Amino acid sequence: MNLSVNGVTHEIESGPLTTLLDVLREELAITSPKAGCEQGGCGACTVLVDGSPQRSCLTPVAAIDGAEITTVEGLGTPEGLSPMQAAFTHHYAAQCGFCTSGMIIAAHAYVEGGGTDAHEAIQEALGGHVCRCTGYVKIIAAVAAAARGDSFDLTVTAPSAGMVNLGGVT
Amino acid sequence: MKAVGARLPRYDGIAHVTGRTVFVDDVRVPGSLWVKALRSPVHHADITGLDTSQAEAMKGVHAVVTWKDVPLLEYGHLSALGIPADEPLLAKDNVRYKGQPIAVVAAEDEETAIAAVEAIDLDLSEKPALFDVRKAFDADAPVIHQWGNWYPHFEAEMDRRQIRKGDIDRAFDDADVIVQGVYRPAAIEHVPLETQSCQVVPEANGRLTIYSCTQALYFSLGVVASHLQLPLNKLKVVGGTVGGGFGGKVDTATETMCCLLARKSGRPMRWRWTREEEFLYSSTRAPWHMEIADAVTKDGWILGRKMLTLHDSGAYARFSPYGLTKHSFHHTGAYTIPNLSFDGYVVFTNRVPTTAMRGFGVTSVSFATETHMSRVAEVLDIDPWELRLKNANRIGDTSPNGITYTDPSTVPVVKALAEGMGVELSADLRAMSRDLREGDLLPQHLVGQLGNPEDH
Repeated sequence: MNLSVNGVTHEIESGPLTTLLDVLREELAITSPKAGCEQGGCGACTVLVDGSPQRSCLTPVAAIDGAEITTVEGLGTPEGLSPMQAAFTHHYAAQCGFCTSGMIIAAHAYVEGGGTDAHEAIQEALGGHVCRCTGYVKIIAAVAAAARGDSFDLTVTAPSAGMVNLGGVT
Repeated sequence: MKAVGARLPRYDGIAHVTGRTVFVDDVRVPGSLWVKALRSPVHHADITGLDTSQAEAMKGVHAVVTWKDVPLLEYGHLSALGIPADEPLLAKDNVRYKGQPIAVVAAEDEETAIAAVEAIDLDLSEKPALFDVRKAFDADAPVIHQWGNWYPHFEAEMDRRQIRKGDIDRAFDDADVIVQGVYRPAAIEHVPLETQSCQVVPEANGRLTIYSCTQALYFSLGVVASHLQLPLNKLKVVGGTVGGGFGGKVDTATETMCCLLARKSGRPMRWRWTREEEFLYSSTRAPWHMEIADAVTKDGWILGRKMLTLHDSGAYARFSPYGLTKHSFHHTGAYTIPNLSFDGYVVFTNRVPTTAMRGFGVTSVSFATETHMSRVAEVLDIDPWELRLKNANRIGDTSPNGITYTDPSTVPVVKALAEGMGVELSADLRAMSRDLREGDLLPQHLVGQLGNPEDH
């Protein structure tokens, strides 16, 4: 079996019923897809299989022999973030970070598929992804910004118009 | 103050969005063995037989650890504060909750580890279980603990957390109305997306390196060192990256057992709980049983409060005495009640042990006291905003444990809430401040009850 992962072709040695998640994490040491529940419930293991977001924990590797896999490592680099990675950074849409890989993959596929900044549509697209830090507001804001094509200057450190000043409570 | 209002980069933000963050289970150590636990299949039982020889003889199994391998079997997070421990690292004579670990195995791969757990011969003599704290005090209740059914080691040799303040009998004699309520918030599982996990590497210099998802690195360091009876300099804990904790990762759930397996086999260990283990066997926020009776006047002063709290600790005490203490200090909520009688018990049941979770001990009592404030307002047919502002903590008021408030925020917060919710307060209420109660503004029931803020 062969898989192309983030543009690199690998011959896979794991057994045919091994999950794609285990192949990526254990055989190839690509660790951004997370083993959050290993039963398709949390979304943290989501990767792109030939461009479509899939739960890698529910995907036997034999079923996708020859596929092209993209993980969040393959979307961009720290020096060259993808638009969705930049949007998540700008909007502080990652808290503990454990759901972030799957969220970004799903959000990336949503925008690539023509998704708009409509909140309901974004909620639908990310409906299978759990953020237990409950950072959904910022995540949806990030996806909406990326869908609009906003650009971000991530070096900005000036006070933001978007930040709430709680003022002095006396 | 350059940081306030500025956009500051998160130190771990870029790593999170590019998949570079290394969580505990992402560490790659060659030659690691998989760890699995034999857990109690029942809620309450005596252990009448435990034979691991068949599992130890299996191909691919490198070590099996039971209570016999633990240098100091019982050690608690609060032991260093002189609070006796009650929980064995691995069950010895009995099991007190379903899922309690009895043995851990280390094997070449996950499947072999699971098979080895199944090969351990365990004999149990099941006993009746207790799940309802209200029945724990009954004469015919199952006895769970060597200490009985509630934790007996509070200060002054008391078996409860007790607060007595003012003259509670007089408050109830003077009251126009007694308002009672019972509040029972349920257990809550933290559900971190990263389940409990760790990796342990035995180093050539004799040290153990522990990759831990702990929220409390120095707690874990102390707990592991104590169970293993090792000096701290034999352990190196690598932490700081937590895939969600919410309080549940103050427990040292995996590290100690992996260290024992690593020392026994000389191999690196890796243990990642399944989602099922996390849900069923990791600690939860405690369920609480709270009974409140308030002595109130028709015009909305709360003269006194009697309260009984049963903190469902689950099978072991862990941090519960500490949580109950915080709970007791907050049992008047954000309000001043001068006459108090509070009794709180840490009660054992055959549920999973409970632990810290966001506002440990205080969220439960806040739920009860705020709900009760609304109930008092309803009974008196008085505006709930007025009731809250009237009884609000003010400068000079004192807390249940006798602290004089110098910077209480109830009045400004309640006013800000009203504004935020679009509630128009009367001019009288808008004029209320958090200033010291003086002259006509000092109600009779608080005369002689104020502290001196200058003393603090």
